[in-house]
Amino acid sequence: MDSIISGFVKAFSLIFHLDKELLGIIFLSLKVSGLALIIAAAIGLPFGAIIGLRRFYGRDLIISVLNTFMGLPPVVVGLSLYLILSRSGPLGFMGLLYTPSAMATAQSILAFPIVASLCHSAIVSVDPIIKQASVTLGATPLQVTITIMKEARYGIMSGVIAAFGRVMAEVGAILIVGGNIAGYTRVMTTTIALETDKGNFELALALGIVLLAISLMINMVLHYVQKLGVRTK
Amino acid sequence: MRLFKSLLLSVLVLSVVSVPAVSAETRIRCASTTSTQNSGLFDYILPIFEKKTGIKVDVVGVGTGAALEIGKRGDCDVVFVHAEEFELKALKEGYFVNRYDVMYNDFIIIGPSNDLAKIKDMKSASDAFKRITETNYFFVSRGDRSGTHIKELSIWKKAGIEPKGQKWYLEVGQGMEKTQRVANEKKAYTLTDRGTWLATKDKDKLEMSIVLEGDPILFNQYGIMAVNPERHRHVKYKEAMEFVIWIISQEGQKAIADFKDKNSNQLFIPNAK
Amino acid sequence: MSELGLTIKEIKKSYNGKVVLNDCSFVFDRGKTHVIIGPNGSGKSTLLRISALLEYPDEGKVIYHDDYKTFEDNVELYRRITLVFPKGGLFNITVFKNAAYGLKLRRINKGEVEKKVEDALRDVGLWEKRNQNALTLSTGEGQRLALARAMVLNPDVLFLDEPTASLDPRNTSIIEEIISNIKRRYMPTIIMVTHNMFQAQRLADSVIFVYEGQIVDGGPGNKFFENPTDERAYKFITGQMVY
Repeated sequence: MDSIISGFVKAFSLIFHLDKELLGIIFLSLKVSGLALIIAAAIGLPFGAIIGLRRFYGRDLIISVLNTFMGLPPVVVGLSLYLILSRSGPLGFMGLLYTPSAMATAQSILAFPIVASLCHSAIVSVDPIIKQASVTLGATPLQVTITIMKEARYGIMSGVIAAFGRVMAEVGAILIVGGNIAGYTRVMTTTIALETDKGNFELALALGIVLLAISLMINMVLHYVQKLGVRTK
Repeated sequence: MRLFKSLLLSVLVLSVVSVPAVSAETRIRCASTTSTQNSGLFDYILPIFEKKTGIKVDVVGVGTGAALEIGKRGDCDVVFVHAEEFELKALKEGYFVNRYDVMYNDFIIIGPSNDLAKIKDMKSASDAFKRITETNYFFVSRGDRSGTHIKELSIWKKAGIEPKGQKWYLEVGQGMEKTQRVANEKKAYTLTDRGTWLATKDKDKLEMSIVLEGDPILFNQYGIMAVNPERHRHVKYKEAMEFVIWIISQEGQKAIADFKDKNSNQLFIPNAK
Repeated sequence: MSELGLTIKEIKKSYNGKVVLNDCSFVFDRGKTHVIIGPNGSGKSTLLRISALLEYPDEGKVIYHDDYKTFEDNVELYRRITLVFPKGGLFNITVFKNAAYGLKLRRINKGEVEKKVEDALRDVGLWEKRNQNALTLSTGEGQRLALARAMVLNPDVLFLDEPTASLDPRNTSIIEEIISNIKRRYMPTIIMVTHNMFQAQRLADSVIFVYEGQIVDGGPGNKFFENPTDERAYKFITGQMVY
């Protein structure tokens, strides 16, 4: 009990003193996850749109695979990516292992199925009459696609935010490909893991509280977005 | 809507802008063990080295097995571990060059303060292990192929006992400090390194004490070696050797000796030749 | 006056083996209001949707003719025709943006878009609600917006699929008034499906009576209602047909 209370005390003192190292760790977390999200969204949204809008052979299989991959174990992703990025692996020449870029890559792999799958669900739940209305008002196929994606925007945004929440809280993959190097690839979750290992429970808990606070903010935004979507339906 | 857009945008911009700019400074990567990293040694000695040479050392803390593997694959420039037998093997296989002894600490067997298995009067670690198996007490093992784990297995081997799968043998697959805490909860015995023990016993309120120490088999030698540049062309061999030479130099050795934990215990004894 | 008319030729369509339209041919003259009537399930909505190229016939052709010009590309054609659905089809954006949607697709300059949209929204009495989300409108207002959205495009052919189907009498008469205004002002070719006989009588220049998938009667509005030639049409408009 004592350590929980002192964890909270330490958390608030860390936050209010804007500890420089802590800020660096928080910003790196946001940066890595933000970058991962941009990559995942840049690939996942068009991908989700295609499987949401087009009918083609193997589509059902792709949807099942995507839904399965939403629960990809981060350590498996981390290990696979480690073997690929390792100097002895196929992409070793790029020298990406133990860099923030490698971490962002791992997280975008984790985020991609979430973004694509939720984007797909959001799009298929758009009333088919929207597509027809768009066509009859003179939209080109591309304009139709954009219109449908705009209609599905709240669902799509929920997906993107859910993915952000997942990667922010992730530790297994980035620990393996990032190496948890102080001041370089050390983010909130890996710091928590390390400090727990070292027995610095207060610091670990303090960081956990910061992480929770960020998750809370993300979820509040998510809830707000979902409410917007419901209100106008 | 607009509020949300700008919110999302600012989060993303913030995250991209906050990229710590990777400067032109030279960095080398050192694969080491979690126990070394957790002791705080690197936080103490690396700034001294960086100040002198301008070389930044990025430490990746993993188990000894993984650290050697990372080095073999060419994913770091230098390894700093404590599993002499394996180090020499990898050296012979040509993965590494220029191995030096750096420092040592020693392993100890710890157990419940009341020592019900009566190990305290014993001298030999392998005999103590045998005694534990003959009683009803648990033995907690790291089970993670760390240097400590490897040492523990060699003691079991010497004792002629195969502990794996026995119901009194708990493999936790965790770091040293966690393993100690598990042993504490279970009123069990375990093998630990003196550094971790000194640094954590009070903080973690362990109701345990040292039951055996001083057996030569418990000697824990740390070594450093550079990744073989002929095998992996990209490694920063020159800078890695600067680090190796520094750490076995008088200055490096003094830094190791000067390093103390929170309770002013010296955790490592430098012994570079 | 509209420069675009269309001809349907020997249209056949069935769903899951059930024949919905069988051998329907008709020439929709340009600039007139054609009202398709018939019992429920007679195939009138399908006929409209096929004519508007929302569905493809199993057999037969839909030919748009603009002084003998035919269209290869649906997108090009949809820049000249449009359709109002029985209900729904509004986008989850503001009233103004809904009305401006078609114009924006056509990359019309902003000033012109604003002017046209303002005129149309004032015409249908929704200018005050321009910044409201379209999905918060009542059903009647929604249909008025759907009409305004079509109106701003000044289409050559305007399809209306039961535009007052789910409306009360008050809103029905508002919508009819708007349609009359469109007729008077732009003289597009209007093709409309309704189940409301009085509405058909009020709006139609020409009537097409569809019965069990076939066009069995039709003709100029007044003449048709006074003196239908087909017995089934007579029974239908006099309310003797049970369906």
